[in-house]
Amino acid sequence: MIVTRNLTKYYGSLCAVSDLNLDIKGEIFGLLGPNGSGKTTTVLMLTTLLRPTSGDAYICGYHTTRSAAKVRSVISYVPQDMAVDIRLTGRENVQLFARLYGLARSKDRVDELLGLMGLSGRADDLVSTYSGGMRRRLELAQALVHEPSVLFLDEPTIGLDVAARRKIWGHIISLRKKGMTVFVTTHYMEEADHACNRVAIIDRGSVAAIGTPGSLKGELGKEIIVVRAEGDFDSFSTENATKIGCAGDEIVFSSDMGSDIVPILTKDLHAAGLTVRSVSVREPTLDDVFLQLVGQGDDRGPFDDRKFRMMLRRRG
Amino acid sequence: MRGVLEYLWRDMLRWTRGKVAVISSLVMPATWLIFVGLALPTSFTTNYLDFITPGILVLTMLTASFQAGSSLIFDKILGFLNKFLALPTPRESILLGKIFFSTARGLLQATVILVLAVLLGAASWSAQVVILTYVLLGVFGILIASFATTIALHLGDHDSYAAVNAMISMPLFFTSSALMPYSVMPRWLATLASINPVSFAIDAIRAVQVNVIMWDRILPLTGMTLLVLAVSIIVFRRTSL
Ligand SMILES: Nc1ncnc2c1ncn2[C@@H]1O[C@H](COP(=O)(O)OP(=O)(O)OP(=O)(O)O)[C@@H](O)[C@H]1O
Ligand SMILES: [Mg+2]
Repeated sequence: MIVTRNLTKYYGSLCAVSDLNLDIKGEIFGLLGPNGSGKTTTVLMLTTLLRPTSGDAYICGYHTTRSAAKVRSVISYVPQDMAVDIRLTGRENVQLFARLYGLARSKDRVDELLGLMGLSGRADDLVSTYSGGMRRRLELAQALVHEPSVLFLDEPTIGLDVAARRKIWGHIISLRKKGMTVFVTTHYMEEADHACNRVAIIDRGSVAAIGTPGSLKGELGKEIIVVRAEGDFDSFSTENATKIGCAGDEIVFSSDMGSDIVPILTKDLHAAGLTVRSVSVREPTLDDVFLQLVGQGDDRGPFDDRKFRMMLRRRG
Repeated sequence: MRGVLEYLWRDMLRWTRGKVAVISSLVMPATWLIFVGLALPTSFTTNYLDFITPGILVLTMLTASFQAGSSLIFDKILGFLNKFLALPTPRESILLGKIFFSTARGLLQATVILVLAVLLGAASWSAQVVILTYVLLGVFGILIASFATTIALHLGDHDSYAAVNAMISMPLFFTSSALMPYSVMPRWLATLASINPVSFAIDAIRAVQVNVIMWDRILPLTGMTLLVLAVSIIVFRRTSL
Protein backbone atom coordinates (compact mmCIF):
# COMPACT_ATOMS: atom_id res chain seq x y z
CA MET A 1 0.00 0.00 0.00
CA ILE A 2 2.69 2.47 1.02
CA VAL A 3 6.22 1.82 -0.20
CA THR A 4 9.11 4.25 0.05
CA ARG A 5 12.62 3.78 -1.33
CA ASN A 6 15.38 6.07 -0.09
CA LEU A 7 12.86 8.88 0.23
CA THR A 8 14.80 12.04 1.01
CA LYS A 9 13.93 15.72 1.43
CA TYR A 10 16.31 18.63 1.84
CA TYR A 11 15.16 22.15 2.64
CA GLY A 12 18.19 24.01 1.35
CA SER A 13 21.02 22.34 3.22
CA LEU A 14 18.81 21.04 6.04
CA CYS A 15 18.03 17.35 5.68
CA ALA A 16 14.44 16.96 6.91
CA VAL A 17 13.95 13.32 5.83
CA SER A 18 16.82 11.00 5.02
CA ASP A 19 16.71 7.72 3.05
CA LEU A 20 13.36 6.55 4.34
CA ASN A 21 12.47 2.94 3.45
CA LEU A 22 9.03 1.78 4.53
CA ASP A 23 6.68 -1.04 3.48
CA ILE A 24 3.24 -0.57 4.96
CA LYS A 25 0.20 -2.67 4.20
CA GLY A 26 -3.19 -3.10 5.85
CA GLU A 27 -2.24 -1.76 9.24
CA ILE A 28 -2.20 1.28 11.47
CA PHE A 29 1.34 2.53 11.09
CA GLY A 30 2.57 5.14 13.53
CA LEU A 31 5.37 7.55 12.72
CA LEU A 32 6.72 8.82 16.02
CA GLY A 33 9.30 11.48 16.60
CA PRO A 34 10.06 14.69 18.49
CA ASN A 35 9.21 18.15 17.10
CA GLY A 36 11.04 18.86 13.86
CA SER A 37 12.01 15.23 13.23
CA GLY A 38 10.43 15.17 9.76
CA LYS A 39 7.01 13.60 10.37
CA THR A 40 4.97 16.25 8.56
CA THR A 41 7.55 16.44 5.75
CA THR A 42 7.16 12.67 5.23
CA VAL A 43 3.38 12.91 5.14
CA LEU A 44 3.50 15.81 2.68
CA MET A 45 5.69 13.79 0.32
CA LEU A 46 3.44 10.74 0.56
CA THR A 47 0.32 12.82 -0.12
CA THR A 48 1.87 14.34 -3.31
CA LEU A 49 2.04 17.83 -1.80
CA LEU A 50 5.80 18.01 -1.61
CA ARG A 51 8.32 16.85 -4.18
CA PRO A 52 11.04 14.61 -2.69
CA THR A 53 14.62 15.74 -3.27
CA SER A 54 15.44 12.14 -4.17
CA GLY A 55 14.03 8.65 -3.79
CA ASP A 56 10.59 7.30 -4.60
CA ALA A 57 7.29 6.65 -2.90
CA TYR A 58 4.39 4.52 -4.12
CA ILE A 59 0.82 4.48 -2.81
CA CYS A 60 -1.23 1.47 -3.95
CA GLY A 61 1.38 0.99 -6.68
CA TYR A 62 1.13 4.57 -8.00
CA HIS A 63 4.22 6.75 -7.97
CA THR A 64 3.67 9.93 -5.92
CA THR A 65 5.12 12.32 -8.47
CA ARG A 66 4.68 10.49 -11.79
CA SER A 67 1.05 9.42 -11.11
CA ALA A 68 0.14 12.06 -8.55
CA ALA A 69 -3.50 12.32 -9.69
CA LYS A 70 -4.00 8.55 -9.26
CA VAL A 71 -2.47 8.72 -5.80
CA ARG A 72 -4.82 11.54 -4.81
CA SER A 73 -7.82 9.49 -5.81
CA VAL A 74 -6.98 6.63 -3.41
CA ILE A 75 -5.85 8.61 -0.37
CA SER A 76 -7.21 11.08 2.15
CA TYR A 77 -5.18 13.51 4.16
CA VAL A 78 -6.02 15.23 7.41
CA PRO A 79 -3.32 17.82 8.11
CA GLN A 80 -1.92 18.81 11.47
CA ASP A 81 -3.71 22.18 11.55
CA MET A 82 -7.39 21.77 12.17
CA ALA A 83 -8.82 23.17 8.94
CA VAL A 84 -12.62 23.20 8.95
CA ASP A 85 -14.74 26.16 7.86
CA ILE A 86 -16.15 27.60 11.06
CA ARG A 87 -18.71 29.72 9.22
CA LEU A 88 -20.21 26.64 7.61
CA THR A 89 -22.25 23.97 9.33
CA GLY A 90 -20.84 20.51 9.92
CA ARG A 91 -23.02 19.14 7.14
CA GLU A 92 -21.88 21.83 4.68
CA ASN A 93 -18.26 21.05 5.46
CA VAL A 94 -18.71 17.37 4.62
CA GLN A 95 -20.94 18.17 1.63
CA LEU A 96 -18.18 20.32 0.17
CA PHE A 97 -15.81 17.35 0.13
CA ALA A 98 -18.42 14.93 -1.17
CA ARG A 99 -19.04 17.28 -4.11
CA LEU A 100 -15.35 17.91 -4.67
CA TYR A 101 -14.89 14.15 -4.95
CA GLY A 102 -17.72 14.17 -7.46
CA LEU A 103 -19.81 11.65 -5.51
CA ALA A 104 -23.19 10.74 -6.89
CA ARG A 105 -25.89 10.50 -4.21
CA SER A 106 -23.63 12.48 -1.95
CA LYS A 107 -26.45 13.36 0.43
CA ASP A 108 -26.82 9.80 1.76
CA ARG A 109 -23.09 9.43 2.14
CA VAL A 110 -22.84 12.72 4.05
CA ASP A 111 -25.62 11.69 6.43
CA GLU A 112 -24.04 8.29 6.95
CA LEU A 113 -20.62 9.75 7.80
CA LEU A 114 -22.00 12.41 10.13
CA GLY A 115 -23.81 9.58 11.92
CA LEU A 116 -20.70 7.40 12.03
CA MET A 117 -18.72 10.22 13.63
CA GLY A 118 -21.46 10.92 16.14
CA LEU A 119 -22.24 14.36 14.73
CA SER A 120 -25.80 13.85 13.46
CA GLY A 121 -27.36 15.83 16.29
CA ARG A 122 -25.16 18.87 15.64
CA ALA A 123 -24.84 18.55 11.85
CA ASP A 124 -26.71 21.76 11.10
CA ASP A 125 -24.96 23.92 13.68
CA LEU A 126 -22.14 26.22 12.63
CA VAL A 127 -18.75 24.63 13.21
CA SER A 128 -17.73 27.69 15.26
CA THR A 129 -19.82 26.14 18.05
CA TYR A 130 -18.02 22.76 17.87
CA SER A 131 -15.44 21.53 20.38
CA GLY A 132 -11.94 20.54 19.25
CA GLY A 133 -12.82 16.86 19.34
CA MET A 134 -15.93 17.41 17.22
CA ARG A 135 -13.93 19.38 14.67
CA ARG A 136 -11.42 16.54 14.38
CA ARG A 137 -14.22 14.03 13.87
CA LEU A 138 -15.71 16.33 11.25
CA GLU A 139 -12.36 16.28 9.45
CA LEU A 140 -12.41 12.48 9.61
CA ALA A 141 -15.88 12.50 8.07
CA GLN A 142 -14.56 14.75 5.27
CA ALA A 143 -11.62 12.43 4.71
CA LEU A 144 -13.81 9.34 4.49
CA VAL A 145 -16.38 10.51 1.91
CA HIS A 146 -14.76 8.66 -0.98
CA GLU A 147 -13.72 5.54 0.98
CA PRO A 148 -9.96 5.96 0.58
CA SER A 149 -7.62 2.96 0.62
CA VAL A 150 -5.00 4.85 2.57
CA LEU A 151 -5.67 7.50 5.19
CA PHE A 152 -2.98 9.94 6.34
CA LEU A 153 -3.46 11.60 9.70
CA ASP A 154 -0.91 14.14 10.94
CA GLU A 155 -1.13 14.44 14.73
CA PRO A 156 -4.84 13.65 14.88
CA THR A 157 -5.12 13.99 18.66
CA ILE A 158 -2.95 17.04 19.31
CA GLY A 159 -4.59 19.48 21.69
CA LEU A 160 -7.58 17.25 22.47
CA ASP A 161 -8.66 16.10 25.92
CA VAL A 162 -8.43 12.47 27.00
CA ALA A 163 -11.99 11.50 26.12
CA ALA A 164 -11.81 13.14 22.70
CA ARG A 165 -8.51 11.38 21.96
CA ARG A 166 -9.92 8.03 22.91
CA LYS A 167 -12.85 8.58 20.54
CA ILE A 168 -10.56 9.49 17.65
CA TRP A 169 -8.43 6.38 18.19
CA GLY A 170 -11.57 4.27 18.44
CA HIS A 171 -12.58 5.50 14.99
CA ILE A 172 -9.10 4.90 13.57
CA ILE A 173 -9.07 1.34 14.87
CA SER A 174 -12.48 0.58 13.39
CA LEU A 175 -11.35 1.96 10.01
CA ARG A 176 -8.42 -0.43 10.09
CA LYS A 177 -10.82 -3.29 10.81
CA LYS A 178 -12.73 -2.35 7.66
CA GLY A 179 -9.52 -2.84 5.69
CA MET A 180 -8.10 0.66 5.46
CA THR A 181 -4.39 1.35 5.77
CA VAL A 182 -3.82 4.20 8.21
CA PHE A 183 -0.61 6.21 8.39
CA VAL A 184 -0.58 8.33 11.50
CA THR A 185 1.99 10.62 13.09
CA THR A 186 1.97 11.43 16.77
CA HIS A 187 4.21 12.13 19.67
CA TYR A 188 1.91 10.58 22.23
CA MET A 189 3.72 7.27 22.81
CA GLU A 190 1.05 5.73 24.97
CA GLU A 191 -1.60 6.21 22.28
CA ALA A 192 0.66 4.78 19.58
CA ASP A 193 1.46 1.78 21.79
CA HIS A 194 -2.21 1.08 22.28
CA ALA A 195 -3.47 1.63 18.72
CA CYS A 196 -0.68 1.08 16.18
CA ASN A 197 0.17 -2.30 14.70
CA ARG A 198 3.67 -1.08 13.92
CA VAL A 199 5.58 2.09 14.65
CA ALA A 200 8.72 3.76 13.38
CA ILE A 201 10.59 6.21 15.54
CA ILE A 202 12.32 8.92 13.57
CA ASP A 203 14.84 11.41 14.80
CA ARG A 204 16.39 14.15 12.65
CA GLY A 205 14.85 12.61 9.56
CA SER A 206 16.19 9.07 9.98
CA VAL A 207 14.42 5.97 11.24
CA ALA A 208 15.94 5.02 14.59
CA ALA A 209 13.77 1.92 15.14
CA ILE A 210 10.87 0.18 13.48
CA GLY A 211 8.67 -2.70 14.59
CA THR A 212 5.61 -3.61 16.63
CA PRO A 213 5.33 -1.70 19.91
CA GLY A 214 5.79 -5.04 21.73
CA SER A 215 9.03 -5.96 19.97
CA LEU A 216 10.52 -2.50 20.47
CA LYS A 217 9.75 -2.63 24.18
CA GLY A 218 11.04 -6.21 24.35
CA GLU A 219 14.39 -5.19 22.96
CA LEU A 220 14.86 -2.80 25.87
CA GLY A 221 14.75 -5.50 28.52
CA LYS A 222 12.20 -7.10 30.81
CA GLU A 223 11.91 -4.24 33.25
CA ILE A 224 12.56 -0.58 33.64
CA ILE A 225 14.00 0.84 36.82
CA VAL A 226 13.38 4.49 37.51
CA VAL A 227 15.64 6.12 40.08
CA ARG A 228 15.14 9.56 41.56
CA ALA A 229 18.47 10.76 42.73
CA GLU A 230 20.55 13.83 43.45
CA GLY A 231 24.11 14.36 42.37
CA ASP A 232 26.09 14.06 39.19
CA PHE A 233 24.12 11.32 37.46
CA ASP A 234 25.04 12.27 33.90
CA SER A 235 28.37 10.52 34.22
CA PHE A 236 27.07 7.57 36.28
CA SER A 237 27.22 4.14 34.71
CA THR A 238 27.15 0.54 35.95
CA GLU A 239 27.66 -2.87 34.38
CA ASN A 240 24.68 -4.36 36.21
CA ALA A 241 21.99 -2.47 34.25
CA THR A 242 21.70 -0.53 31.00
CA LYS A 243 21.24 3.21 31.46
CA ILE A 244 18.77 4.35 28.85
CA GLY A 245 18.61 8.02 29.70
CA CYS A 246 17.86 10.83 32.12
CA ALA A 247 14.65 12.78 32.37
CA GLY A 248 14.57 15.66 34.86
CA ASP A 249 15.83 14.31 38.21
CA GLU A 250 15.18 10.71 37.15
CA ILE A 251 17.62 8.19 35.74
CA VAL A 252 16.07 5.34 33.77
CA PHE A 253 17.67 1.89 33.51
CA SER A 254 16.63 -1.36 31.92
CA SER A 255 17.50 -4.87 33.01
CA ASP A 256 16.46 -8.52 32.74
CA MET A 257 17.22 -9.47 36.34
CA GLY A 258 13.80 -9.08 37.89
CA SER A 259 13.45 -7.28 41.25
CA ASP A 260 16.92 -8.49 42.32
CA ILE A 261 18.29 -5.51 40.45
CA VAL A 262 16.96 -2.98 43.00
CA PRO A 263 19.44 -3.58 45.86
CA ILE A 264 22.34 -4.03 43.41
CA LEU A 265 21.62 -0.80 41.61
CA THR A 266 21.06 1.12 44.84
CA LYS A 267 24.46 -0.03 46.09
CA ASP A 268 26.15 1.06 42.85
CA LEU A 269 24.50 4.47 43.03
CA HIS A 270 25.61 4.98 46.64
CA ALA A 271 29.12 3.93 45.72
CA ALA A 272 29.14 6.64 43.04
CA GLY A 273 28.22 9.22 45.67
CA LEU A 274 24.63 9.82 44.56
CA THR A 275 21.80 10.43 47.04
CA VAL A 276 18.99 8.02 46.13
CA ARG A 277 15.46 9.30 46.87
CA SER A 278 13.39 6.47 45.40
CA VAL A 279 13.68 3.42 43.17
CA SER A 280 10.77 1.88 41.29
CA VAL A 281 10.43 -1.01 38.86
CA ARG A 282 7.87 -1.21 36.04
CA GLU A 283 7.31 -2.68 32.62
CA PRO A 284 8.87 -0.92 29.60
CA THR A 285 6.75 1.54 27.63
CA LEU A 286 7.28 3.14 24.24
CA ASP A 287 8.30 6.27 26.13
CA ASP A 288 11.33 4.38 27.39
CA VAL A 289 12.15 3.20 23.86
CA PHE A 290 11.82 6.80 22.74
CA LEU A 291 14.00 8.08 25.59
CA GLN A 292 16.75 5.63 24.71
CA LEU A 293 16.69 6.35 20.98
CA VAL A 294 16.01 10.06 20.94
CA GLY A 295 16.91 11.23 24.43
CA GLN A 296 15.57 14.40 25.95
CA GLY A 297 16.87 16.38 22.97
CA ASP A 298 15.96 20.00 22.52
CA ASP A 299 13.20 20.98 20.19
CA ARG A 300 14.86 21.50 16.83
CA GLY A 301 12.06 22.85 14.66
CA PRO A 302 11.58 26.57 14.20
CA PHE A 303 8.98 27.74 16.67
CA ASP A 304 5.62 27.97 14.98
CA ASP A 305 3.89 30.79 16.75
CA ARG A 306 0.51 30.26 15.14
CA LYS A 307 0.50 26.51 15.74
CA PHE A 308 1.32 27.16 19.37
CA ARG A 309 -1.52 29.64 19.77
CA MET A 310 -3.90 27.22 18.15
CA MET A 311 -2.83 24.50 20.54
CA LEU A 312 -3.38 26.77 23.51
CA ARG A 313 -6.77 27.80 22.19
CA ARG A 314 -7.87 24.21 21.77
CA ARG A 315 -6.64 23.31 25.21
CA GLY A 316 -8.10 26.41 26.85
CA MET B 1 -14.95 21.80 -14.88
CA ARG B 2 -15.28 19.72 -11.74
CA GLY B 3 -14.67 21.54 -8.50
CA VAL B 4 -14.96 25.14 -9.70
CA LEU B 5 -18.59 25.51 -8.65
CA GLU B 6 -17.90 23.77 -5.35
CA TYR B 7 -15.05 26.10 -4.45
CA LEU B 8 -17.17 29.05 -5.59
CA TRP B 9 -20.05 27.85 -3.42
CA ARG B 10 -17.75 27.56 -0.41
CA ASP B 11 -16.39 31.10 -0.76
CA MET B 12 -19.87 32.46 -1.36
CA LEU B 13 -21.28 30.80 1.78
CA ARG B 14 -18.36 31.96 3.89
CA TRP B 15 -18.70 35.51 2.62
CA THR B 16 -22.45 35.85 3.05
CA ARG B 17 -22.25 34.54 6.63
CA GLY B 18 -20.00 37.44 7.64
CA LYS B 19 -22.54 40.25 7.74
CA VAL B 20 -19.99 42.99 8.42
CA ALA B 21 -17.88 41.98 5.43
CA VAL B 22 -20.91 42.07 3.14
CA ILE B 23 -22.02 45.49 4.32
CA SER B 24 -18.52 46.96 4.15
CA SER B 25 -17.94 45.65 0.63
CA LEU B 26 -21.13 47.36 -0.53
CA VAL B 27 -20.54 50.63 1.33
CA MET B 28 -16.87 51.12 0.41
CA PRO B 29 -17.27 51.68 -3.34
CA ALA B 30 -20.25 53.93 -2.67
CA THR B 31 -18.08 56.10 -0.43
CA TRP B 32 -15.49 56.39 -3.18
CA LEU B 33 -18.09 57.44 -5.66
CA ILE B 34 -19.60 60.08 -3.40
CA PHE B 35 -16.35 61.64 -2.18
CA VAL B 36 -14.36 61.50 -5.40
CA GLY B 37 -17.24 62.01 -7.79
CA LEU B 38 -18.91 64.90 -6.02
CA ALA B 39 -16.14 66.56 -4.08
CA LEU B 40 -13.17 66.92 -6.46
CA PRO B 41 -12.95 70.33 -8.18
CA THR B 42 -12.52 69.89 -11.92
CA SER B 43 -12.34 72.15 -14.93
CA PHE B 44 -12.30 69.69 -17.85
CA THR B 45 -15.89 68.53 -17.58
CA THR B 46 -19.19 69.82 -16.32
CA ASN B 47 -20.33 66.44 -15.02
CA TYR B 48 -17.41 64.83 -13.25
CA LEU B 49 -19.69 62.09 -11.93
CA ASP B 50 -20.27 60.81 -15.46
CA PHE B 51 -16.56 60.91 -16.06
CA ILE B 52 -15.48 59.24 -12.82
CA THR B 53 -18.05 56.42 -12.68
CA PRO B 54 -16.14 54.07 -15.05
CA GLY B 55 -12.97 54.76 -13.01
CA ILE B 56 -14.69 53.88 -9.75
CA LEU B 57 -16.19 50.74 -11.34
CA VAL B 58 -12.75 49.57 -12.42
CA LEU B 59 -11.18 50.53 -9.08
CA THR B 60 -13.83 48.46 -7.32
CA MET B 61 -13.10 45.51 -9.57
CA LEU B 62 -9.38 45.95 -8.94
CA THR B 63 -9.87 45.87 -5.17
CA ALA B 64 -12.32 42.98 -5.32
CA SER B 65 -9.95 40.96 -7.48
CA PHE B 66 -6.98 41.48 -5.21
CA GLN B 67 -9.09 39.98 -2.43
CA ALA B 68 -8.99 36.69 -4.31
CA GLY B 69 -5.30 36.48 -3.49
CA SER B 70 -5.95 37.43 0.10
CA SER B 71 -8.50 34.66 0.39
CA LEU B 72 -6.01 32.14 -1.03
CA ILE B 73 -3.34 33.24 1.46
CA PHE B 74 -5.74 32.60 4.33
CA ASP B 75 -6.63 29.17 2.92
CA LYS B 76 -2.92 28.47 2.77
CA ILE B 77 -2.06 29.67 6.28
CA LEU B 78 -5.01 27.87 7.87
CA GLY B 79 -4.29 24.52 6.18
CA PHE B 80 -7.26 24.41 3.78
CA LEU B 81 -5.05 24.65 0.71
CA ASN B 82 -3.12 21.52 1.72
CA LYS B 83 -6.36 19.61 2.03
CA PHE B 84 -7.57 20.85 -1.35
CA LEU B 85 -4.27 20.11 -3.07
CA ALA B 86 -4.43 16.50 -1.85
CA LEU B 87 -7.82 15.98 -3.54
CA PRO B 88 -8.15 14.36 -6.97
CA THR B 89 -10.13 17.46 -8.04
CA PRO B 90 -8.10 19.35 -10.69
CA ARG B 91 -5.95 21.88 -8.86
CA GLU B 92 -6.74 24.72 -11.22
CA SER B 93 -10.33 24.54 -9.95
CA ILE B 94 -9.10 26.20 -6.78
CA LEU B 95 -7.80 29.10 -8.88
CA LEU B 96 -10.90 29.31 -11.06
CA GLY B 97 -13.21 29.18 -8.04
CA LYS B 98 -11.41 32.15 -6.48
CA ILE B 99 -11.41 34.08 -9.78
CA PHE B 100 -15.10 33.59 -10.45
CA PHE B 101 -16.11 34.33 -6.89
CA SER B 102 -14.16 37.58 -6.69
CA THR B 103 -15.37 38.63 -10.14
CA ALA B 104 -18.99 37.92 -9.24
CA ARG B 105 -18.62 39.86 -6.02
CA GLY B 106 -16.98 42.72 -7.92
CA LEU B 107 -19.89 42.84 -10.36
CA LEU B 108 -22.32 42.95 -7.46
CA GLN B 109 -20.45 45.94 -6.07
CA ALA B 110 -20.45 47.48 -9.54
CA THR B 111 -24.24 47.25 -9.57
CA VAL B 112 -24.44 49.22 -6.32
CA ILE B 113 -22.23 51.91 -7.84
CA LEU B 114 -24.25 52.12 -11.05
CA VAL B 115 -27.51 52.51 -9.18
CA LEU B 116 -26.03 55.08 -6.86
CA ALA B 117 -24.44 57.05 -9.71
CA VAL B 118 -27.82 57.40 -11.39
CA LEU B 119 -29.42 58.43 -8.09
CA LEU B 120 -26.72 61.09 -7.68
CA GLY B 121 -27.40 62.55 -11.10
CA ALA B 122 -25.26 60.67 -13.61
CA ALA B 123 -26.81 59.99 -17.01
CA SER B 124 -28.57 56.62 -16.91
CA TRP B 125 -27.19 53.80 -19.03
CA SER B 126 -29.01 51.70 -21.59
CA ALA B 127 -29.23 47.94 -21.04
CA GLN B 128 -26.77 47.36 -23.86
CA VAL B 129 -24.21 49.71 -22.30
CA VAL B 130 -24.65 48.04 -18.91
CA ILE B 131 -24.14 44.56 -20.36
CA LEU B 132 -21.04 45.54 -22.33
CA THR B 133 -19.66 47.27 -19.25
CA TYR B 134 -20.18 44.11 -17.16
CA VAL B 135 -18.39 42.02 -19.78
CA LEU B 136 -15.43 44.39 -19.79
CA LEU B 137 -15.35 44.52 -15.99
CA GLY B 138 -15.51 40.71 -15.94
CA VAL B 139 -12.54 40.36 -18.30
CA PHE B 140 -10.57 42.86 -16.25
CA GLY B 141 -11.55 41.10 -13.00
CA ILE B 142 -10.35 37.75 -14.33
CA LEU B 143 -7.02 39.30 -15.33
CA ILE B 144 -6.35 40.82 -11.91
CA ALA B 145 -7.74 37.90 -9.89
CA SER B 146 -5.62 35.28 -11.71
CA PHE B 147 -2.55 37.40 -11.23
CA ALA B 148 -3.27 38.04 -7.54
CA THR B 149 -4.14 34.42 -6.74
CA THR B 150 -1.02 33.10 -8.43
CA ILE B 151 1.19 35.60 -6.58
CA ALA B 152 -0.48 34.58 -3.32
CA LEU B 153 0.24 30.91 -3.99
CA HIS B 154 3.93 31.71 -3.73
CA LEU B 155 3.86 33.94 -0.64
CA GLY B 156 4.10 32.64 2.90
CA ASP B 157 2.07 35.07 4.97
CA HIS B 158 -0.61 37.70 4.74
CA ASP B 159 1.67 40.66 5.51
CA SER B 160 3.79 40.05 2.43
CA TYR B 161 0.66 39.71 0.35
CA ALA B 162 -0.75 42.98 1.70
CA ALA B 163 2.57 44.64 0.85
CA VAL B 164 2.54 43.28 -2.71
CA ASN B 165 -1.08 44.34 -3.09
CA ALA B 166 -0.37 47.90 -1.93
CA MET B 167 2.73 48.07 -4.11
CA ILE B 168 0.82 47.09 -7.23
CA SER B 169 -2.82 48.11 -6.97
CA MET B 170 -2.54 51.74 -5.87
CA PRO B 171 0.17 52.79 -8.40
CA LEU B 172 -1.76 50.91 -11.07
CA PHE B 173 -4.85 52.94 -10.27
CA PHE B 174 -3.20 56.35 -9.98
CA THR B 175 -1.23 55.94 -13.21
CA SER B 176 -4.40 55.13 -15.12
CA SER B 177 -6.94 57.29 -16.89
CA ALA B 178 -9.37 56.88 -13.97
CA LEU B 179 -9.20 60.34 -12.46
CA MET B 180 -8.51 62.58 -15.48
CA PRO B 181 -8.51 62.41 -19.26
CA TYR B 182 -5.23 61.99 -21.18
CA SER B 183 -5.48 65.59 -22.42
CA VAL B 184 -4.90 67.12 -18.99
CA MET B 185 -2.22 64.64 -17.83
CA PRO B 186 1.50 65.50 -17.78
CA ARG B 187 3.28 63.75 -20.66
CA TRP B 188 5.00 61.07 -18.54
CA LEU B 189 1.71 60.17 -16.89
CA ALA B 190 -0.11 60.02 -20.20
CA THR B 191 2.53 57.58 -21.48
CA LEU B 192 2.23 55.37 -18.39
CA ALA B 193 -1.55 55.53 -18.48
CA SER B 194 -1.70 54.50 -22.12
CA ILE B 195 0.02 51.14 -21.40
CA ASN B 196 -1.77 50.43 -18.11
CA PRO B 197 -4.37 47.61 -18.20
CA VAL B 198 -6.51 49.59 -15.76
CA SER B 199 -6.77 52.34 -18.43
CA PHE B 200 -7.61 49.74 -21.08
CA ALA B 201 -10.68 48.75 -19.07
CA ILE B 202 -11.65 52.32 -18.19
CA ASP B 203 -11.19 53.71 -21.72
CA ALA B 204 -13.16 50.82 -23.21
CA ILE B 205 -16.01 51.40 -20.77
CA ARG B 206 -16.06 55.15 -21.42
CA ALA B 207 -16.21 54.43 -25.15
CA VAL B 208 -19.07 51.97 -24.62
CA GLN B 209 -21.02 54.74 -22.87
CA VAL B 210 -21.02 56.68 -26.15
CA ASN B 211 -21.66 53.52 -28.17
CA VAL B 212 -18.14 53.07 -29.48
CA ILE B 213 -16.36 49.70 -29.39
CA MET B 214 -12.72 50.53 -28.80
CA TRP B 215 -10.93 47.46 -30.19
CA ASP B 216 -7.47 48.89 -29.57
CA ARG B 217 -8.29 48.76 -25.85
CA ILE B 218 -10.46 45.64 -25.73
CA LEU B 219 -8.08 43.37 -27.69
CA PRO B 220 -4.95 44.00 -25.61
CA LEU B 221 -7.00 43.67 -22.41
CA THR B 222 -8.49 40.36 -23.51
CA GLY B 223 -5.11 39.15 -24.76
CA MET B 224 -3.45 39.92 -21.43
CA THR B 225 -6.27 38.22 -19.57
CA LEU B 226 -6.00 35.02 -21.61
CA LEU B 227 -2.24 34.96 -21.27
CA VAL B 228 -2.19 35.54 -17.50
CA LEU B 229 -5.02 33.05 -16.98
CA ALA B 230 -3.21 30.37 -19.01
CA VAL B 231 0.03 30.88 -17.09
CA SER B 232 -1.83 30.80 -13.77
CA ILE B 233 -3.56 27.54 -14.66
CA ILE B 234 -0.25 25.94 -15.54
CA VAL B 235 1.32 27.20 -12.30
CA PHE B 236 -1.56 25.79 -10.23
CA ARG B 237 -1.38 22.41 -11.96
CA ARG B 238 2.30 22.12 -11.20
CA THR B 239 2.23 23.55 -7.72
CA SER B 240 3.97 21.85 -4.85
CA LEU B 241 4.80 23.33 -1.49
N1 LIG C 1 9.13 24.85 4.41
C1 LIG C 1 10.23 24.58 5.12
N2 LIG C 1 11.38 25.24 4.86
C2 LIG C 1 12.51 24.98 5.56
N3 LIG C 1 12.60 24.08 6.55
C3 LIG C 1 11.49 23.39 6.86
C4 LIG C 1 10.25 23.61 6.17
N4 LIG C 1 9.32 22.78 6.69
C5 LIG C 1 9.94 22.09 7.66
N5 LIG C 1 11.24 22.44 7.77
C6 LIG C 1 12.24 21.85 8.69
O1 LIG C 1 12.29 20.45 8.46
C7 LIG C 1 12.40 19.74 9.67
C8 LIG C 1 11.27 18.74 9.75
O2 LIG C 1 10.03 19.44 9.91
P1 LIG C 1 8.64 18.72 10.05
O3 LIG C 1 7.59 19.76 10.01
O4 LIG C 1 8.56 17.63 9.06
O5 LIG C 1 8.74 18.11 11.51
P2 LIG C 1 7.62 17.37 12.39
O6 LIG C 1 8.23 16.08 12.79
O7 LIG C 1 6.34 17.33 11.67
O8 LIG C 1 7.53 18.33 13.65
P3 LIG C 1 6.26 18.69 14.59
O9 LIG C 1 6.17 17.60 15.60
O10 LIG C 1 6.67 19.97 15.21
O11 LIG C 1 5.06 18.82 13.72
C9 LIG C 1 12.40 20.77 10.78
O12 LIG C 1 13.74 20.98 11.18
C10 LIG C 1 11.83 22.00 10.14
O13 LIG C 1 12.43 23.13 10.69
MG1 LIG D 1 4.41 18.04 12.07
